[in-house]
Amino acid sequence: MNDPISRRRFLTHSAAAGGVLTIPGFLLGCKPTTSTAPPVVAAAPKPLPQNPFLDWFAVDEARLRKVMAELTARGADHADLYFQYSRSNHIVLQDGIISRAHTREEQGVGLRVVVGDQVGYAYTEDLSLAAMLAAAKTASAIANAGAATQPEHLAFKGSSQYYNLKVPLSRLGIDKKLPVIQRAAELTRAGDPAISKVSVSWSDTEERVMIVDLRGNIITDQRPMTRLWVSTTAKKGNETRANGSNLAGRRGLDWYDDTRLQQVAKEAVDRTMVLFDARRPPAGELPVVLAAGASGILLHEAIGHGMEADFNRKNVSIYADMIGKKIAPDFVTIVDDGTIESERGALNTDDEGTPCERTVLVDKGVLATYLHDQISAKHYNLGKSTGSGRRESFRHVPMPRMRCTFMENGPHTKDEIIASVKRGIIAETFTNGQVQIGAGDFTFYIKNGWMIEDGKVTYPIKDTNIIGNGPDALKKVSMAANDSKLDTGGWTCGKDGQGVPVSQGLPTVLVSSMTVGGKNA
Amino acid sequence: MPESLIDKAAKVIELAKKAGASGSFVHTHQSRGVQCKIRDGVLEKLQESTSRSVSIELYVDGRYASHSTTRVDGLDDFIAEAVALTRALEPDPDRALPDPALYGGARPTGLDLVDPAILALDQKQRVARCQAMNARLTGKQHVISGTSTMHDGHGQFAAVSSNGFQGTYESTYVGNYSSVTLQDQNDKRPEGGMGCGARQLATLMSPEAIGDEALARATARLGSKKGPTLTTTMVVDRMAAGAMISRLLGSANGHSVQQGRSMWADKRNKRVLSRKLTITDDPTLPRGLGSRPFNGEGITAKVMPMIEAGALKNYYLDTYYARKLKMRPTSGGPSNRIVTPGKRGFDELIKATKKGVYVTSWLGGNADSTTGDFSYGLRGHLIEGGEIGAPVSEMNVTGNLIELFSRLAEVGNDPWTYSSTVVPTLVFSGVQFSGT
Repeated sequence: MNDPISRRRFLTHSAAAGGVLTIPGFLLGCKPTTSTAPPVVAAAPKPLPQNPFLDWFAVDEARLRKVMAELTARGADHADLYFQYSRSNHIVLQDGIISRAHTREEQGVGLRVVVGDQVGYAYTEDLSLAAMLAAAKTASAIANAGAATQPEHLAFKGSSQYYNLKVPLSRLGIDKKLPVIQRAAELTRAGDPAISKVSVSWSDTEERVMIVDLRGNIITDQRPMTRLWVSTTAKKGNETRANGSNLAGRRGLDWYDDTRLQQVAKEAVDRTMVLFDARRPPAGELPVVLAAGASGILLHEAIGHGMEADFNRKNVSIYADMIGKKIAPDFVTIVDDGTIESERGALNTDDEGTPCERTVLVDKGVLATYLHDQISAKHYNLGKSTGSGRRESFRHVPMPRMRCTFMENGPHTKDEIIASVKRGIIAETFTNGQVQIGAGDFTFYIKNGWMIEDGKVTYPIKDTNIIGNGPDALKKVSMAANDSKLDTGGWTCGKDGQGVPVSQGLPTVLVSSMTVGGKNA
Repeated sequence: MPESLIDKAAKVIELAKKAGASGSFVHTHQSRGVQCKIRDGVLEKLQESTSRSVSIELYVDGRYASHSTTRVDGLDDFIAEAVALTRALEPDPDRALPDPALYGGARPTGLDLVDPAILALDQKQRVARCQAMNARLTGKQHVISGTSTMHDGHGQFAAVSSNGFQGTYESTYVGNYSSVTLQDQNDKRPEGGMGCGARQLATLMSPEAIGDEALARATARLGSKKGPTLTTTMVVDRMAAGAMISRLLGSANGHSVQQGRSMWADKRNKRVLSRKLTITDDPTLPRGLGSRPFNGEGITAKVMPMIEAGALKNYYLDTYYARKLKMRPTSGGPSNRIVTPGKRGFDELIKATKKGVYVTSWLGGNADSTTGDFSYGLRGHLIEGGEIGAPVSEMNVTGNLIELFSRLAEVGNDPWTYSSTVVPTLVFSGVQFSGT
C-alpha cells in the first residue's frame, strides 16, 4: 500500500458522492488503520495507478493533463494544481453541557502559473472539468508567451511521514471525543473553588491535499490537526479574572491522556488565579527573561518573518543584506524545522510539493539561510526551496512561511539567568505578536509573567506589551539556558491575510533590554 | 437577484426536516472576487475566484449544532449526518430559533450595496488603477519597492428558516491599497501604506491620492527613534481610531458577558466613559461596509445606540445568549459602528495640543476583555507646541480601556468613512507611554 490512507476506506468515503463521510464512518468510533508505513517512491508507472486521492477529487490523468495544458497555454516557468479537501469538527462544552458542535467542510482547487516573479492564480470549488478549465484560463492570463512544455508522464512522488495517528480523524467518532472534553472540564472546575465558569473547546481537522506540478509530479498528503482549549473565569468578591490554556498538534485523541488533561487544566486555573495578585511592571527599558517554551514567539517575530525570502528578494526586509553576517552571540542557533514529528508546524510536504526539511536560520550567531518557496529559490539560484512554501488553503497562493521555529540549547542555566537580573521581568505566557518587516520593530504580548528584583522572583505581572527591534534584540540576547523546549499550545501565524499553523520553542533566554509596556513611575 | 440561492436554502430546510430536525436556519452564498497587484510597475499577481457555501443551524431533540460545506450539490448525506451528529450532543434548554416576530417590520431600503460599475470592471481597468497608484511610488526618493493592490468582488446571500424567515441580498466591494518601503539610514527599511475600501467605485479616493498618501506616510517614518517614557496627551489618527473603538466594544456582547469575560458585565446604563463619546450601531447606513437588511439570525436591521454620552446602552445579543441572560435579543454582532463627531478638525486638535503623542498606527498588543487592562505598541510622532514633530517607534501605551475612555478629551469632526467603524480623530489626556 503506497498511501497513508487505507484505500478501501477512502473509496468508501468517495462513494458517498457529494456527501461527506458516511454516517457509520463518522459516528462509529475507531477502527485502527493497518497502513501507517511510509510510502515507497515508485518508478513512474504509466498510466497512473489507481489512487485514493484521484478518486476523492474525481480526477484522472486525462483531466489533469487537460487542465494543466490550459493553465500553461500562454507559458509558465512553473505551474501547479492544488487540490484540497478539509473537514473540521468543533465541539464546545459550556455551562456544564456539551452545548454545540460545528462542522465545516471545504473543497476546491487552486491553479497557479508562475512566470519569473509573476503569479496568475484562480480557484474554484467546483471540480467539474468545465469549471477547472475556466479557472485555468483565467490564471493563465498573467503569462504572455507560447504554451509551456507538458510533462511526459505524471507520477506519484512519495514523502516522509511526520504524523502517524493510531486512529485517523475521519474515523474518530464524536462519542470518543466527548469524554475527553468532559474530563478536561471536570479537572478544571476542581482546580480552585473560585473558578466560576469553565468552557472547553475541541477541534479536529483532517485535510487531504494533492499537488500536481508542471514537471508531472503528483504529491499527496493527509494532514491531521487537533486542539483542546480550556477557558476559565474566576470570581473573588467583586473581582473577576479570566484566562485559559490549550494543547495542540498533529496528534490523535490518545495524546490527550489524563496527564495532559491535568496539565492543561492546571495551567488554565493557575494562569487565571494568579491574575488576582498580578500587577503591571514598571514602564520603560528593562531586561526581559523569556521562559522556556512559548517564548519562541520572540524568534517568530524578531527574526523569523524577516527571514522569509519573499521579503528579501524584494529587498524590503531588515535582514536583506545580512546573510553571512554575525547577528547574535556564538551560542545562538535558530532553526525552522518542518520535520519534527506530530508538531503543529510539521509537514510531510510543503504546499508546493517540496519535502519539508530542517533549515538553520542562524548558525552559531551567523545569519545562514532564508526560508524559501520555489519562486525565491529560483530568484537566488538555489536549485531547490527549503520546503517553506505554504498556503492557508486552495484559496491562496503559497509563500515562504515558518513551520516550527526554535532556538537550540545555550550554555547557561535558568537559575543563573534569573539570578543575574537586578530589576527586570520574566515573560511566561503570550497571546499574540506582530512585526514590521522593513523597520524590524516587533512586539509580543505577555499575558502572565513575573517581576525580578535583585535576582529574585518577587511578584506576578500581567498584560504587558513588549516592543523591540529584531537585529537589536538578537544582539542583546546575553544568556541562553540548556532547557530548550517546544510549546505544546497551538499557534497560528498570519501573513498577507493567510493563517497557517506553526510551532515555536526557546530555552530560557535573557534579552538585556527591551521596551516594557508597564506602569509609569 | 439570487433566486436559486433561496431555492437551494429552502431545499436544505426540507432535507433537515426529513432527517428529523425540529427546526433549522439555512444560509447560502455565492461570490466572485478579483485581486490585482502591481509591484514596481510590473504585474505581480492576478487572482480570480468563485466561492459558494451552504451552512445550516440545526435544532434536533433540544440539541443544537451548525454545519457548513462548499460542496453544495447532493446534500442529502451531509444533512443526514449533520442531524445524527447533533443528536450526539447534550440538550440545551436555551437553544431556540429566533422569535419570528423579530423577522417582521420593514427591512431598510435604499442600502445601495451594489455598484454596477464594480460588476463591469475589467482586467485592463484594474491594472490601470494599480499602475496609477504605483506610479506615485516608483522611482521616488528613498523608495526601495512599492506595491499597489486592487480587490473587488460581488457576493449574493440568501437565508431561510423553518419558522418563517426568508431573505436575500447582494453587495459589491472594492478596495485599493498602496504600500511602500523606503531605505533609511543603517539597515532600517520603514514602510508605510494607505488604503480604502467601499461599496462603490466612485466613492474611493483617487488612485493618485492613495499612492501619494502611502508615500507621505512612509516618508514620515524616516529617522524614527524610540520615544521617551512619559504620561501625556494622546491624539489618535482617525485611521487608527477604529481599532480603539473595536477594542472598547469587543466584549460588549452576550457571550462575553454571560461567560464572565466582559469588562461591561456590571456597567450597562452607567456613565463610566467620557460624555463626549456616543457610538451608534447602524446597519441601515446607505453604502455602508457593514450595512445589511437583516442580520445573521434574520432579525430586521435597526439602528441601536451602543454608547450614549459615556454610558453603554446595549449589548450585542443573539437569541441564545439573550435567553441565557434573560434579556431581549438585539443583534449578535456589529454592523456599522459610528462615533458621533465633535466640532474641531484634525489640524485644530493638533494645534491645541501643547505636548503629546500623535499615534498613526498600532503595532501588536492586546487587552484583557474581562478587566479592560491593555498594552499596545504604536508608531507615531511627538507633538510639541501644537505641531507634529519627530517620528517615534518602539513605544507602548498601557492602561485600562474604560479608564482611558473616561479621559477622552475630544472627538474630531473628521470621521474615516472607508470602514465599517466610522471614527474621527480622538484625543485622550493623561495617557501612559513607555519608551526609553
